[in-house]
Amino acid sequence: MRSDQIPDLKIIKEGQVIIRARNLRAAANFIPAKSFRARRHYYSNEENGLLYVPKGQAQNPQAQMFSDPNMAMDMMKKNLSMIIPQTLTFAWVNFFFSGFVAAKIPFPLTQRFRAMLQNGIDLSTVDVSYVSSRSWYFLNLFGLRGLFSLILGEDNATDDTQRMMQMGGFGFDPTRSLGAEKDNLDIVQHDWALPKFEQRAEAVLKKLVS
Amino acid sequence: MVSKTEEEQVNRLENQVENGGGGAWEYLCLVRKLKLRRSDKVLKYGVAILKDPKKRSALGPEEWTLYEQVAIAAMDCQRLDLAKDCIKDLRAKFPQSRRVDRLEAMWLEAKGSWADAEKAYSSLLEENQFDQAIHKRRVAMAKARGNLSEAIEWLNKYLEIFMADHDAWRELAEIYVSLQMYKQAAFCYEELILSQPTSPLYQLAYADVSSYWRLFLFF
Repeated sequence: MRSDQIPDLKIIKEGQVIIRARNLRAAANFIPAKSFRARRHYYSNEENGLLYVPKGQAQNPQAQMFSDPNMAMDMMKKNLSMIIPQTLTFAWVNFFFSGFVAAKIPFPLTQRFRAMLQNGIDLSTVDVSYVSSRSWYFLNLFGLRGLFSLILGEDNATDDTQRMMQMGGFGFDPTRSLGAEKDNLDIVQHDWALPKFEQRAEAVLKKLVS
Repeated sequence: MVSKTEEEQVNRLENQVENGGGGAWEYLCLVRKLKLRRSDKVLKYGVAILKDPKKRSALGPEEWTLYEQVAIAAMDCQRLDLAKDCIKDLRAKFPQSRRVDRLEAMWLEAKGSWADAEKAYSSLLEENQFDQAIHKRRVAMAKARGNLSEAIEWLNKYLEIFMADHDAWRELAEIYVSLQMYKQAAFCYEELILSQPTSPLYQLAYADVSSYWRLFLFF
């Protein structure tokens, strides 16, 4: 049901730029100072630096997500395929299993949890550790996910809850990480390691020989 | 770059297969996974497996991957007739497949009809801009024709999109060195050093190229 996502040129490019900028930061001391400065300028200069993201554009991904028809359809499909079975199961559980105590939580809880965990139970004197079947359902849902992925293999219907948690990080990633990379790059102090190599080699060899 | 253990494993399997022991299919899978270029061996053992109907049916759906691998090896060894047969079989099985289109374009390239191959690659790229293999084949074709400046142009365009592909940077560096454009080659080697600072190969190459360039400046 989910459409095959054709990777977007911009997203690929941004991903690759991030990798390249990260490499630059990691190994900055291996290239001479001038090359490092040239590259840093290439990435973070104000007009057309690769990592430069003007403030106005930072909020765009969210608007883009809803205006881009493909992505909106995609998200809707994802949502629907996830929400409908869950809603149905939840309603069923509620209907059949309301009004009685299903489990006891091993640790004591405060009274604030009463509304959440004891929804069908109308006696207010029952200890909050005794929970209704609704909370038992949620416990099972989240807890047995690991077991299901072992038995049914990866990528099955119960993994939807994982996707629910991942939904947040969709379009925001590129812009924010570009900005983060740029800041990190600005911080880096360059120190060309070459002139000092001989001393370092000498020190290492001395330690080995002695 | 294959690791030492993997290389030993491949060599061991190769010896085993050559001396008559079984294991040809494992060898072919390993070569395919590690992307090694041992076309003559692949061709020999692949054809042996394909010609034997029992072994072929034992492979199941993997046999088409084997067809592809054998086709490429055949093109590498200039056995174009064999390659054509494999491609025909693949086409019969997968009539709309882009992978088969790619193989046919490669066959045109191996035959030497550069213009046709060029057209085929361009049309494939129009359909799917992100197929790295086709980009690289286009560069390789330009290089094989001797048109290095065109190769550089294509490779630069490729690198604008896929910046993190260090094989491509390496190829570009070698082309620049062969054209004696040492400054640009130095830039490429710097990129390589940044992505893999622990590899001595790139440091040495960078040093060589920088020294060539300094000499150049003096004369």
